[in-house]
Amino acid sequence: MQNVDAINAGNFEEPKTNYLNNGYTLKSWLLTKDHKRIAIMYLLTISFFFLMGGVYAALIRLELLTPQSDLLESGTYNRVFTQHGIIMVFFFLIPSIPAMLGNFLLPIMIGAKDLAFPRINLLSLYIYWIGAALALFAMMQGGVDTGWTFYTPYSTTFSNGYVMATGLGIFINGFSSILTGLNFIVTIHTMRAPGMTWFRMPLFVWAHYATSLVMILGTPVVAITILLLALERVARIGIFDPAIGGDPILFQHLFWFYSHPAVYIMILPGMGVISELISNFSRKKIFGYEFIAFSSIAIAVFGFLVWGHHMFVSGQSIYAGLVFSFLTMVVAVPSAIKVFNWSATLYKGQISYDTPMLYALFFIGLFLIGGLTGLFLGSIGLTVHLTDTYFIVAHFHYVMVGGQVLAYLGGIHYWWSKMTGKLYSEFWGKISAMLIFVGFNLTFFPQFILGYMGMPRRYASYPAELQVLNIFSTAGASILGIGLILPVIYLTYSVFFGEKASANPYMHPGLEWRTSSPPPTENFEETPIVTWEAYEFGEESGLDLEEARKELAKV
Amino acid sequence: MEHTNDHYHPPGLQHQFEDMKQQEESASIGMWVFLVQEIMFFGGLFTVYLVFRSRYPMAFAAASNHLDALWGFINTLVLIVSSLTMALAVYYAQKSNRNMQVIMIILTMIFGTAFLGVKAIEYTDKYNHGLVPFSNWNKKTPPGGEHKADNSGFVLPFETRAEAAGGKNEKPYINPTGTFQWHDEEGDKIILEARKKGYLTDAEKIGYFTNGELDNEKVRGKVQIFYWIYFTMTGLHALHMIVGLGIMTWLLIMAWRGTFSAEYYSPVEMSGLFWHFVYIFWIFLFPLLYLLGRHFLH
Repeated sequence: MQNVDAINAGNFEEPKTNYLNNGYTLKSWLLTKDHKRIAIMYLLTISFFFLMGGVYAALIRLELLTPQSDLLESGTYNRVFTQHGIIMVFFFLIPSIPAMLGNFLLPIMIGAKDLAFPRINLLSLYIYWIGAALALFAMMQGGVDTGWTFYTPYSTTFSNGYVMATGLGIFINGFSSILTGLNFIVTIHTMRAPGMTWFRMPLFVWAHYATSLVMILGTPVVAITILLLALERVARIGIFDPAIGGDPILFQHLFWFYSHPAVYIMILPGMGVISELISNFSRKKIFGYEFIAFSSIAIAVFGFLVWGHHMFVSGQSIYAGLVFSFLTMVVAVPSAIKVFNWSATLYKGQISYDTPMLYALFFIGLFLIGGLTGLFLGSIGLTVHLTDTYFIVAHFHYVMVGGQVLAYLGGIHYWWSKMTGKLYSEFWGKISAMLIFVGFNLTFFPQFILGYMGMPRRYASYPAELQVLNIFSTAGASILGIGLILPVIYLTYSVFFGEKASANPYMHPGLEWRTSSPPPTENFEETPIVTWEAYEFGEESGLDLEEARKELAKV
Repeated sequence: MEHTNDHYHPPGLQHQFEDMKQQEESASIGMWVFLVQEIMFFGGLFTVYLVFRSRYPMAFAAASNHLDALWGFINTLVLIVSSLTMALAVYYAQKSNRNMQVIMIILTMIFGTAFLGVKAIEYTDKYNHGLVPFSNWNKKTPPGGEHKADNSGFVLPFETRAEAAGGKNEKPYINPTGTFQWHDEEGDKIILEARKKGYLTDAEKIGYFTNGELDNEKVRGKVQIFYWIYFTMTGLHALHMIVGLGIMTWLLIMAWRGTFSAEYYSPVEMSGLFWHFVYIFWIFLFPLLYLLGRHFLH
């Protein structure tokens, strides 16, 4: 472990080689087994896909500025929203936090030199690239128009899009997340540093354990589903084909058996990041550690039992609907437990409003709205009115963007100094965080009202009386767009011209702050021995953080 | 990575681990998690099978009767023995016995290849009889070259040749485009009888008949679903066998060089787990696809 006084004083003696300057050749990156370098390559790829999905989102909002379908015709519009969905779900949201932040931080947070299987980790990146390349190829050729859900028999028999290539891309990409999940589970089981017991792990790690469970148990099912779909498209006949007695509803069951839990792949890691941010920036031990840890596991388990709530109006039996509706209410409980615990952590904490903390606070508010509107949709009566309207679109964007994307951005800002060894501009960080918050709400809140008024999703045109709210929404999207581009600029700027970061710029107790920024290739000079609980700000943490803060303030 | 460590560095220990015990534990948990993933993967397929079997049991029984149970039985035996030789390979690796290791791996590979060979024979048979459910992927039988019923198949010990042939009783047909074919008078009779006795499921009551008459085209659709599932399941299983044989080849080279010993044998053990998994998968496939419902027709 590093010298405690040195950390306290904030002037860490840096090792000569860290993971970034340990080799500059392209080969040293492409053939690396270092989880940190792999995470950086994920960051670049994921950002590219986020940008791409964003462009499609912009097209959608521009088209919906006017009631007529004028910028895009209906057929093109179908392809645009499908591509937006596919890219954002499969190539951005699912890998975002686990493959990037999780990959970088998980081994460091538990005091390991690397993940248990570094080569498999690199393999998962390549698999992701291959899947992404296939999906990109399909997109260049004209894309798909089935919606990201690929409902049969439209997708198998009638659609003229590149369903096979896109589906195959998603199939391949699925194995990337399976391998990542496998790696995480094994790493958490076997690679913890001496003294790092299960209940001393940061909640970020717990959240990733739960996420990995979903990845392992859910992704294979969608893989086989997409394979069956592809086979059926080749054979032009098959088990989802009602003409020979096949069952299209079966496809929906199989698809949602994964794709509902996948929603939790897209939110659980975000919750892990938020637990870190809330506790650390309140400078207070998190309230109800065990509750938050086990609520993650509970979400992963119950998440597998609610897929039918996507099918309330698609021919599922009404009795199944009742059960699924009840279970949907049940799965809301662990999420609520988390929100209550975060709020209780804030109580009497020494809260500082750094950029990451802003994101965390926004997350709580937006996730609350997203979660509660989910209950509207889970209640079997109201959902008949709201199904396939903009109410649903607004709901899942509040959870996915207001939840996961904000957590992702908060996490990137929080650990940016650790990843790059540089400090970004706090001023611009706060500006962009606030722009995102305002822009996001302006974009999606009107959509709740639109949906309630009956505007259906997935149409390029709408009645003229709904235009005002749609203009609000498009205006909000422009602000959101600016808010999202700003970090790209100032974060990139900071890599080249930013101030050098100390090992522990925020004076936080986590293991990742007890190694240099950026960390050496093997993460720690010596394997750390953990003697403190998670989020320990007192003297038990072995770091006299408060003293050091005062010292720093004097300088 | 520089190797400045003074302490003893066991062979095969990777840099991220502290000691062999940690590495073995990781490999073992990793493999089991992978197998859980595999179970979920095939679980989707078994779900599909169960859904359609419970909907159309008669058509499934009739269709499964056209699979060759003896070949299936032989293949099951072959896999059981290969599982034994694989387990012995692990055992001899733990005993640091290089020669026996190599022999056992080679034997496992021979049995694995034999399995695939039998599978190829069965697939060819389905191709010749127009039972491949993919559009136009069957043998094209032009007019004049009518297909004759083939009664030369193998017979299970408990049935007579005539009985076995009953299931295979095919009308001569022409099939110029190679479409899916289904002619089974025996099966049709049994469906009609089941209707009389009230055995049909709700899906079958509307799934086989048009205006109260047995509709061969409708029955064919259900049989096609069976063969669709059969080819997908056995095809994916065969793919896993091929991957398994690839792993065995790698293992053979490593064992030949004497890599594995009592100190370091976890690759053999992990490959063994995979091999056993593929074998157990077949243990479920064989009764579900070949045996279930044979008594309907005999």
